[in-house]
Amino acid sequence: MKIGAPKEVYEGEARVALTPDSAQQLKKLGHECLIEAGAGEKAGITDDAYREAGVEVVAEAKALFDGADIVIKVREPQMDEVQRLREGQTLVSFFWPAQNEELLNAAAERKATVIAMDMVPRISRAQKMDALSSMANIAGYRAVIEAGNNFGRFFTGQVTAAGKVPPARVLVVGAGVAGLAAIGTSTALGAITLAFDVRPEVAEQIESMGAEFVFLEFEEETKDGAETGGYAAPSSPEFREKQLEKFRELAPDIDIVITTALIPGRPAPKLWTEDMVRMMKPGSVIVDLAAEKGGNCDLTVPDQRIVTDNGVVVVGYTDFPSRMATQSSMLYATNIRHMIHDLTPEKDGVINHNMDDDVIRGATVTHKGEVTYPPPPPKVQAIAAKPKEKKKEPTAEEKRASEVSAFKEETKRQVALLAIAGGAVLAVGLVAPESFMRNFVIFVLAVFVGFQVIWNVAHSLHTPLMAVTNAISSIIILGALMQIGSTSGLITVLAAAGILMAAVNIFGGFMVTRRMLAMFQKS
Amino acid sequence: MDFGFTIAAYAVATVLFVLSLGGLSNQEKAKRAVWYGIVGMAVAVGATMVGPGSGLWLMSLVLIALGGIVGWQLATRVQMTQMPELVAIMHSLVGLAAVLVGINAHLEIGRVAAAFTAGDLPFPQPEGPMSTAAYDLWLGLTDFAMIIGKKTAVEVTILRIELMLGIWIGAVTFTGSVVAYGKLAGRINSAPVQLPGGHMLNAGAAAASLLFAGLYLGYAESGAVAILMLLVLTALALFIGYHLIMGIGGADMPVVVSMLNSYSGWAAAAIGFSLGNELLIVVGALVGSSGAILSYIMCKAMNRSFISVILGGFGGTSGPQQQVEGEQVAIDAAGVAAALNDADSVIIIPGYGMAVAQAQQSVSELTRKLRAKGKEVRFAIHPVAGRLPGHMNVLLAEAKVPYDIVLEMDEINDDFPSTDVAIVIGSNDIVNPAAQDDPNSPIAGMPVLECWKAKQVFVSKRGQGTGYSGIENPLFFKENTRMFYGDAKASVDSLLPLID
Repeated sequence: MKIGAPKEVYEGEARVALTPDSAQQLKKLGHECLIEAGAGEKAGITDDAYREAGVEVVAEAKALFDGADIVIKVREPQMDEVQRLREGQTLVSFFWPAQNEELLNAAAERKATVIAMDMVPRISRAQKMDALSSMANIAGYRAVIEAGNNFGRFFTGQVTAAGKVPPARVLVVGAGVAGLAAIGTSTALGAITLAFDVRPEVAEQIESMGAEFVFLEFEEETKDGAETGGYAAPSSPEFREKQLEKFRELAPDIDIVITTALIPGRPAPKLWTEDMVRMMKPGSVIVDLAAEKGGNCDLTVPDQRIVTDNGVVVVGYTDFPSRMATQSSMLYATNIRHMIHDLTPEKDGVINHNMDDDVIRGATVTHKGEVTYPPPPPKVQAIAAKPKEKKKEPTAEEKRASEVSAFKEETKRQVALLAIAGGAVLAVGLVAPESFMRNFVIFVLAVFVGFQVIWNVAHSLHTPLMAVTNAISSIIILGALMQIGSTSGLITVLAAAGILMAAVNIFGGFMVTRRMLAMFQKS
Repeated sequence: MDFGFTIAAYAVATVLFVLSLGGLSNQEKAKRAVWYGIVGMAVAVGATMVGPGSGLWLMSLVLIALGGIVGWQLATRVQMTQMPELVAIMHSLVGLAAVLVGINAHLEIGRVAAAFTAGDLPFPQPEGPMSTAAYDLWLGLTDFAMIIGKKTAVEVTILRIELMLGIWIGAVTFTGSVVAYGKLAGRINSAPVQLPGGHMLNAGAAAASLLFAGLYLGYAESGAVAILMLLVLTALALFIGYHLIMGIGGADMPVVVSMLNSYSGWAAAAIGFSLGNELLIVVGALVGSSGAILSYIMCKAMNRSFISVILGGFGGTSGPQQQVEGEQVAIDAAGVAAALNDADSVIIIPGYGMAVAQAQQSVSELTRKLRAKGKEVRFAIHPVAGRLPGHMNVLLAEAKVPYDIVLEMDEINDDFPSTDVAIVIGSNDIVNPAAQDDPNSPIAGMPVLECWKAKQVFVSKRGQGTGYSGIENPLFFKENTRMFYGDAKASVDSLLPLID
């Protein structure tokens, strides 16, 4: 099959869908490659470089569309490009089918197959062709560079002979791929980086990149990100209020804000309001990666860099990946190459459009004259396995109720035990003489004290406890001491033996306990 | 000095003893607590000697000094691994002393009765004020006899019951402790052994004890028969102590030792009743209840009832045990060392095997080396690891392992999944997953250390045999388990030079 990459017609687009490297890889799959003359120029790739890699350079777009079986592109096609498609031809490109219904229908009418790179499902197997992530990664990186370009100070704090420079404080809003890339870049440059996301489960990822997670105290049934394919879901108005309040608190101390908050299929949420911009210091920079969808900041003007009255720069460029065209072309071309690899399972240059494959099915938006968007949910669950159903937290009332019932239960048991024990003691009292009962009271008390005291003994000290109780139990020596004075020889001898044994025990027991305890050391 | 002073001193001693036991709630306070115990004992002994009734001071002092020297020697010479044996054999001394004191009390009663009869006076004392003649005679008695001399008939009967109890419990404690000592010291086979008849024999002996107790009370007045009955009773109790403990396996020794500890306390309390000595009662009860609680705590840790431990052997199995599949994979020292060098967190689970091999110093050295490299090393101690409650803690402390990295089962069990390497040194049943997985296992339901959840498990073990309880351990067959065969000390020593 012939795979052709036309020159991007969108104004300012510098990327290209085919690189010499990817062309060589595609050839190994049995394909031939075409490229429109000058397509790679803005990405720093000359036509000669393509020729060296064995790519046929075609002078005009029309000739390319006619000659290629598969057209690969970066930006979604213009209407006239769609009109050039023919039956059975395949287009692989970003497409945004939800926003470009007209294009979609037109492509279906032409009976062309369209594979939208933005529709690749987010599952592990498809990561190698996840162009959104690779572009977002570049955007995140570039956003920090762009911010640095407009920021008048160091990122890193320095103590120099000429004075002390405080580190820049960067806030990244939204910790998706772009956000995490921005965090990584910003911390690598030495800034103090804070990051916020509505999905509390990404806190760990944020911290792993070296930023501090801005924690929001809010009780809400937050949807697990995994349920929405790893993207954020819209949040409730109360949550939004709470979030804005937190941002207002942070705004005066932040030098650079990078917002990356997007909700699939919706305008970007407004998170950085005008009053927050007013609170920021002159010279601060806001880079709005969501500018294309209307921007996260109130003042963002898409594709423009503006300076507010209080000297805050707001960057609203929408073409960050394109601004790093060499890098992004390389990554995008690799994503495309992986997609075509999956479409050519036999590596024989024959496309097998397997609609049973989750990834291919998900990305295909028109096929054989039909619109196949939206796709059915993938068979393989997206991203992470759903965490085990958490046990429902008992409500405060339930807790209280269970505490009360546990308390009642305990009271019942205790009262029952006391009643039995008390009854037994009283029964003894009925028959036993008073002299016995005097001792008996002491005995009962001592048992009770013993129970109370021993429960507190540390587990690790059970052996010393045994040794000490052993030593103390030699109190039996008292009995022998009382008897040794008897006038009977036999009694004296027996008592003497008793004293001897008990004495061994006293000294041995205490000594051994001391030895053991002396060994316990703190590190 | 008079009686009041002795009682006051007893009060002081009681407070000191309670503080001494309560002070063991943490390691630092414990060192002070032992001194409370020592002072309490000194006060008690001193007060008794100056109190009424005791004579032969010099002889008492000499005896105490003699016993002290022996005890001192024993305590300083003993190896920490022999601690369980020492505690057991010392219990037997308390038991024997209780028997002697009890028999003395009986003899004394006989002598007092004889004295009164010789003076043609009634004994026991009738109700109401004592006659002048009786009072004169009573005044001439020595001190313990004085307590007996003023008793009425009911009181004397109670006295006899008390002294029988003291003797009986003391005798059970004596032989029981001797057998426990033998098993712990390895002089007797630690497997449960019972004479034909098993528990029926114990029950029979207990019933016979009751019978002879009754006979003793019936023939109490006729000296020769009474002492004979008492001796038979003692012999029966000695037999019960012997046979009961013989029937309990080595793995249950922690419970047995603390149970015997409890018995020695109850014996002292019973003797205290018969001698009318408050301090004996109080301290006996303290020791008795503390031993009982320790036994309870340990039975709970093994998820077994006290009765089933005492009656010996494991009980309550139904159906066949799960078959263990797979094979035990051995590993050499280099492999273990490589894993340790890579690991960030290590948990060591010591058991009786470590004590037997005297490996605690080597383990401590290994810990020191790993910690010096910045790795997190902790110890997980099962409540019934070893042969004495807290046995492992003492051994590790002896080897200078800091106690704040030695954790209890409940504290550390949740940490295994985040641990890189778990090392099992000479323990078996306490890390047996069958306790959780196999409802037919004899140890089903016993809480165990979930070491198999660690990324890697190394088991240092002598050979392929089963543990004390004779139960196969599926841990050894798990995929992430490697068997590190050999003597625990030699094995750990071979690791040391490989840790860099």
